[in-house]
Amino acid sequence: MIYLPIAEMPVNVLLVLLVSGSVGFVSGLVGVGGGFIMTPTLMFLGVPAPVAVATGASQIAATSFSGIMTQTRRKSVDWRMGMLLSVGGIVGSASGVWLFERLLRLGQLDLLISLLYLFLLAGVGWLMLAESYAVMRGRTHRGVSILRRPARTIAHTLPFRIPFPRSGLYISVIPPLVLGYLIGALAAMMGVGGGFILIPAMIYLLRMPTNVVVGTSLFQVLIVTSLVVILQSTATQTVDLVLAAMLMLGGVVGAQLGARTGARLKNEHIRALLGLILLVASVKFLLDVVVPPEEPYVLGGGLW
Amino acid sequence: MKRVLAALAFLVLAAPASAQNPGDVASDLPAAVAEEQITVSSDYRGSYITVFGVNPDRRGRGDIVVVVRGPNESTVVMRKRSVYGIWINGDPVRFAEAPSFFAVLSNRPLRQIASPESIWRYQLDPAASAQLASAVPEGGDPSAYRRALVRLRFEQGLYQYYTGASTPERRGGLTMYQGGLFRAVVRLPANAPIAQYHADTYLFRDGRLISSQRIPVTISRVGIERRIHDLATTQSFLYGVVTVLLALLSGWLSALLFRRS
Repeated sequence: MIYLPIAEMPVNVLLVLLVSGSVGFVSGLVGVGGGFIMTPTLMFLGVPAPVAVATGASQIAATSFSGIMTQTRRKSVDWRMGMLLSVGGIVGSASGVWLFERLLRLGQLDLLISLLYLFLLAGVGWLMLAESYAVMRGRTHRGVSILRRPARTIAHTLPFRIPFPRSGLYISVIPPLVLGYLIGALAAMMGVGGGFILIPAMIYLLRMPTNVVVGTSLFQVLIVTSLVVILQSTATQTVDLVLAAMLMLGGVVGAQLGARTGARLKNEHIRALLGLILLVASVKFLLDVVVPPEEPYVLGGGLW
Repeated sequence: MKRVLAALAFLVLAAPASAQNPGDVASDLPAAVAEEQITVSSDYRGSYITVFGVNPDRRGRGDIVVVVRGPNESTVVMRKRSVYGIWINGDPVRFAEAPSFFAVLSNRPLRQIASPESIWRYQLDPAASAQLASAVPEGGDPSAYRRALVRLRFEQGLYQYYTGASTPERRGGLTMYQGGLFRAVVRLPANAPIAQYHADTYLFRDGRLISSQRIPVTISRVGIERRIHDLATTQSFLYGVVTVLLALLSGWLSALLFRRS
């Protein structure tokens, strides 16, 4: 047991390491950042939602930096695109932290986090299930993709177009800025990196080549989550350094082990299972907001 | 045991003057706290507060009430409301002052010891200390909010009531010994705020307050807990930068470590 100085609660060190290690393992296995699994898991363990969100961001910064160290060796970051996404992300995370702080004072933050996670987990869970189902079936039908890449998107028609040499694109700067903004706001309010939205958007909306997508998104996630940690520390003081250290340790080790195991496995079934788990978790958040409460009163606002 | 002896010696040698006198009664009830300093370090899992005292009445007449209070703080109580099928926190009511921690112990039920007026006047009940500060929304019942505040804090272990001695199953309670000696034990949960507390001891006879005593109890962070918390609150920007650097360091180390193997 160790007492968390900011969450102001004792937690079992082994339990937290085990949980963060398993979440890291699963995320490494499936190839996702894991913030959207880690943060709700912390809440289920009793960590106050604001602390879980703000502290979760620091663990994602660690994981994404670990990832970027391996990715950059293969020169797979489109720096210009990464910068644009980060500029959007910086503004987005600042507004996200501002809203977070406002709602915290008003006592409505937990509701917002529950609602966001409800939609996020249900959406991601459903996509994972659908995708792995398609892949499993596709094996008999010989490679039928459920999503086709459109030749031209809105990114090609909007004004302020500039070249992105590494991606071989000539597109407007508006979609990357807006996309970065949205991801930054989500990162600040949910303690997620946002790769699960960013990566599909980069592929299908911006039409970036897949070999630069992962590295570039990691770069954006690193910049945004680092900023979120600093902003949350300053604005709401909900970042718990001791909890963060345990999450980083468990998370990065688990992710590396998971990535190794994943490379040797066909993971459609794992993805399908994870999708199912996410759907079940989203039901928990749904019940939180729709079931009539046994206790109609709550303490809130100014407590945190 | 040493602490107990020290506390007793302290009692006999010097019955200290009280810091706060509840109005017209003498504040000379001999009492002391075994843990005047409670320290919160990384292995903190809550604590106990032990209050000792002696009933000065030679024939042992009278009743003892011990109250351990945390600082009063502004608190908001909200009522859940259904909006399009979603339960949101609405109708906030603010209490300007409400005890952040409150434990009351008595040798027999409090209502048999003190009149409702005394309970209110000397704030022997947490509800008596909760000062409503904002208007209750339309259709709301102020006393329902007050009751809800007490109930929610009770469920968190922050408000406690003990009647009689502590038992082997439940550590916590007021035990009376020979010669008017008494000992009160309060469980301080890990979620209790880290602040300056007060242990108040009251002697009632025939429903009237005879004497009382107030002893400060300090709960404070020490060591690394203190350093981290101080950094987070006073140098919050630096604290954020340190956390990010730690993240970068651990990410870099893991990449390095796993690249080799």
